[in-house]
Amino acid sequence: MSLMASKRARRRLTKGFVYVFLVTASAVVIFPYLWMALTSFKPIEEFFTYPLQWFSKNWTLAQYAGVLEDPKFLACLGNSLLVSSIVTAISLVLSIPAAYGLTRLRAPGGKSILVGILSSQFFPPMIFFVPFYIILSKFKLLNTIPGLVFAYLSVTLPICTWMVATTFRNIPRELEEAARVDGCGDIKTIFEVVLRMSLPGILTAGLFAFVLAWQEYIFALLYTTTTAAQTAPVLLFYYLGQHQIDYGRLMAAAILLSLPVIFPFAFMQRYFRQGRGEGSIKG
Amino acid sequence: MLKGRTRFIKGYLFAAPLLVVLAVAVLFPAFYNLAIAFYNFIPASNAWQFAGLENFAKLWNSPLFWNSFKVTLLWVAGNVSLQLIIGLAIALGLNSIIRFRGPFSGILLIPWISSFVVVGILFIWIYDPQMGVLNDILLSLGLIEKPVAWLASPQLAQLSLIVANTWKFFPLVMITLLAGLQDVSTELLEATQVDGANWLGTFRMVIFPTILPSISTGVLLSTIWAYNSFTLPIVMTGGGPLRATEIFGLHIFKLAFDAFDFGAAAAASLVLFTQILIVIILYLKLAERN
Repeated sequence: MSLMASKRARRRLTKGFVYVFLVTASAVVIFPYLWMALTSFKPIEEFFTYPLQWFSKNWTLAQYAGVLEDPKFLACLGNSLLVSSIVTAISLVLSIPAAYGLTRLRAPGGKSILVGILSSQFFPPMIFFVPFYIILSKFKLLNTIPGLVFAYLSVTLPICTWMVATTFRNIPRELEEAARVDGCGDIKTIFEVVLRMSLPGILTAGLFAFVLAWQEYIFALLYTTTTAAQTAPVLLFYYLGQHQIDYGRLMAAAILLSLPVIFPFAFMQRYFRQGRGEGSIKG
Repeated sequence: MLKGRTRFIKGYLFAAPLLVVLAVAVLFPAFYNLAIAFYNFIPASNAWQFAGLENFAKLWNSPLFWNSFKVTLLWVAGNVSLQLIIGLAIALGLNSIIRFRGPFSGILLIPWISSFVVVGILFIWIYDPQMGVLNDILLSLGLIEKPVAWLASPQLAQLSLIVANTWKFFPLVMITLLAGLQDVSTELLEATQVDGANWLGTFRMVIFPTILPSISTGVLLSTIWAYNSFTLPIVMTGGGPLRATEIFGLHIFKLAFDAFDFGAAAAASLVLFTQILIVIILYLKLAERN
């Protein structure tokens, strides 16, 4: 009896240890963002006090006002929004019919084509540095939104197609057959059965494409040098390059840039938690 | 029969627009890059000249290339091992609890969805020698005596970058292993516990063999992403100090857009790509054997 009790006590102790460990890990994960938020509300004088003041006594929105009044930042934010929206729209328009054709219409070799498309996800972005630069400059697309869209599609299309195809594969074939028996054509079947059934999956793929484009940095850095098409992440990098780094402003800008990702994240984490590592962000 | 065939053709027709765009935006540039590696670009006359293996020979004789080769190997080894250890520990923790598993995994996935630029900026700010919070904490705990220049010292910069990159990437290993842990048989677990095996024994005899495929998948993914890194190092150190953090991505970037040596940059990117392919082939060989 006492052996049982001690065993139970030991198990409870292990459980407690696991929870302490997970709480610590979560704290380490949250801390940088918390610190960023605390910094962004601090008046500039408090940056140089010693010892460091964790909580400001004079909360201020001045850093945010400074960022939002910067026409350059607003222009870049606009560019980010425009590029991400166009990339998302094109990615979905191309990947939905393709995924349908390759999975539901049983195109021979559909599976291997899909695996081939997905594997291009793992290509190092560096193999595109030079060829994209030459192609974009040849077509006078450097420093333009269409140029960025072209480069971004190479990132979003493979993963979008894979995600949509995965959702389509889970729809019972009988439903589709039933629609066909009822006299629905291809287009009508797609809209009335397949799309309706796989809406959450398609939404996830679209959000994913948007977030990928919103956070993309490498190609934006390489192919935009003027504010004509520069995106917000690149502008942050330039804020950083100034001799005296204005951390308050930088943190406020970083928060503003991270906010739009919160909603899609809440949606997407369900997808990730199924253990799907293929949806990854290049960097 | 005829109906079946029209369906085949229709399947391809539906996929055609995507395949065309992918051919133009992915396949063509990849092959174009392959060709560029064997040519020299002469900016003065804006012309290309066939160079054979000259670009590769140039890399072979360049100390900067070998420096970046070495830095990249260290970077990959450091990131992969740290991510595996942390990812495994957290996956085991999450798997052993039922209450709050959802909220915990939600929080622990945050770094994965964070943007690289924002993560880079966060860590520059945390590592800042004067105003950074890391030095502040360590000083007040008495662990260091004077502020440490985390990113400005050639000895520490690589390690500081690896820690930041691991913060960003461990969730990938975590979710991969967590998925693998679902396959561990509860009967087998209970049987070993009845036999009186301790935790380490259970892990070695039951858990580890079951999740071995997930571990190798996790190692493969984190190896690939470590090789493909670019944003975090360029934002945080730009390859410095003294090229101590100049991994392949940054070296290729500098060859292409500082030196405008397109041929050498393309050749170096092929060397990088080859290393990734070797890792993938090793992985497939291993998976085949099991």
